[in-house]
Amino acid sequence: MFFCSLSKQYVYLLNMIKAQIKKLQKIIKTSFALAKVNFVLRIEGSYLGIIWYILNPLAMFLIIILIKKHAISNVYIKNYEIYLLIGVISLNFFKQALSTAINVINSNTNYLKSINNITPEILVMAGLFESIFSHFFDLILIVGFMLFYHLPLLGLILYPVLFFFFIILILGISFIFATIGVYNKDFNNVWLIITQILFFLTPVFYVIKKVDYIYIINLFNPLFYFLLIARSLLMDFTMPPIWAMAGLIIFGAVALVVGLSVFNKYKHEFSER
Amino acid sequence: MESEKIKRINIDNVSKSFKIGCKNADGFLANLLNIISGKEPQRTLQVIDGVSLEAFSGENIGIIGRNGSGKSSLLRLIAKIYNCDSGQIMTQGNLAYIDGYGLGLKQKLTMRDNIYLVGLLMGLDKNEINKRFDEIVSFSELDNFIDTKIYQFSSGMVNRLSFSITIHCLEHNKPEILLLDEVFGASGDLSFQDKATAKIEEFLNSGATVILVSHNLNIIKKYCKRVILLDKGKTICDGDSEDVINTYFELIKKSKTI
Repeated sequence: MFFCSLSKQYVYLLNMIKAQIKKLQKIIKTSFALAKVNFVLRIEGSYLGIIWYILNPLAMFLIIILIKKHAISNVYIKNYEIYLLIGVISLNFFKQALSTAINVINSNTNYLKSINNITPEILVMAGLFESIFSHFFDLILIVGFMLFYHLPLLGLILYPVLFFFFIILILGISFIFATIGVYNKDFNNVWLIITQILFFLTPVFYVIKKVDYIYIINLFNPLFYFLLIARSLLMDFTMPPIWAMAGLIIFGAVALVVGLSVFNKYKHEFSER
Repeated sequence: MESEKIKRINIDNVSKSFKIGCKNADGFLANLLNIISGKEPQRTLQVIDGVSLEAFSGENIGIIGRNGSGKSSLLRLIAKIYNCDSGQIMTQGNLAYIDGYGLGLKQKLTMRDNIYLVGLLMGLDKNEINKRFDEIVSFSELDNFIDTKIYQFSSGMVNRLSFSITIHCLEHNKPEILLLDEVFGASGDLSFQDKATAKIEEFLNSGATVILVSHNLNIIKKYCKRVILLDKGKTICDGDSEDVINTYFELIKKSKTI
């Protein structure tokens, strides 16, 4: 009798998990398709769209290379150009993906109101997928530089694993930002200020030592962990420090849990805004 | 013997209101100031006020009422697009909600890409759309424009395409509850309208529970035995189509004299 009820509960649980997986598959499939369409539209509208996306970090890169000799001459690092490029490109991706998340619900309320298959989660994921497609062009740039500096390309094999955890982090923050964006239409202005601060605070164009006070601050900055791992993978193909990997995963998990709970609390109001 | 009817929709004393801000305070700084200085005064608009309704399989129900009477909001509540403030809504079965606001067709995409996009948004996968693709194209009579972008279509062509995609996706999904909000207006020319009407009739006789919101009283009269009249979010009457439509006319007359 006891085993019978236990097996019933087990079957019930299994069915529930199956249903959830099916739901998740549908969300990913639909958001991927929507992202693909939006991306093609953006490129077809003007190929310059993607060039603009690349030009932004590239311009930053060139300026820093130009002023490096005079302004930040204490940075001695082999292949500084790659070091800088990884920093600038990652920050730009982080900035763009979250800036898309802020507007994604507001610019697609017609979908939410008209098609009951489209949930707010799908819109947030579609925005993120669109940013990931753009990131492929960043990677082409990085690979070009790596070839130019005769760096081993092996690190690129592990980059997707690292990028996956970065995406989990961004997805979590995207859920939070999408919610804030619904109630604060100009939150992008605030985000612009935050990214400015992040640019100078994160070791994008300089190197920090463990004794610097800025190092302590950066322990609370998930972008710092990502850059640390990405650079050790792509620049010298060495094993990144375990604590950095743990840091990125913990930040990602916390962001996802907090993001989903905030998003789930407010998402039923999105179609009313 | 008549087969047993399943209760598909049960709405029990449902109310819904929207908060309408007196000022447009959607900005971050404005919100911050509001928190510091106390919340900005808000007006509430009661869109649905204590509505109850039961609908069974095979039933076609029309909902009529003036603009702003809560018809569309009621459908969105049933479709779970909106959450209700109080009361309960239970639905049993696969539900589809369609409104007439263009389905998310993208102007800069070709007709082919639009069919795939909308099909995916409506829950079909690529193989299923592949199977239905030819049917959708031939029904819309736009065979020569498959790779033309939608912005070059006339409005009649867009209507035909969006009707054809909707109806074929619905045929595939086979919803047990179908909520239609001003969908079947005049789409295309007379011969297309005949074809479209025949398709709609198939659905209305398919045994699904259909709730139809429309200002076109001829359509309502033709397809719905039971009609509900809403005004200011309340059910004014619920019954035989002829009687309810007459009450609606009286309501309009009364409001004109006032």
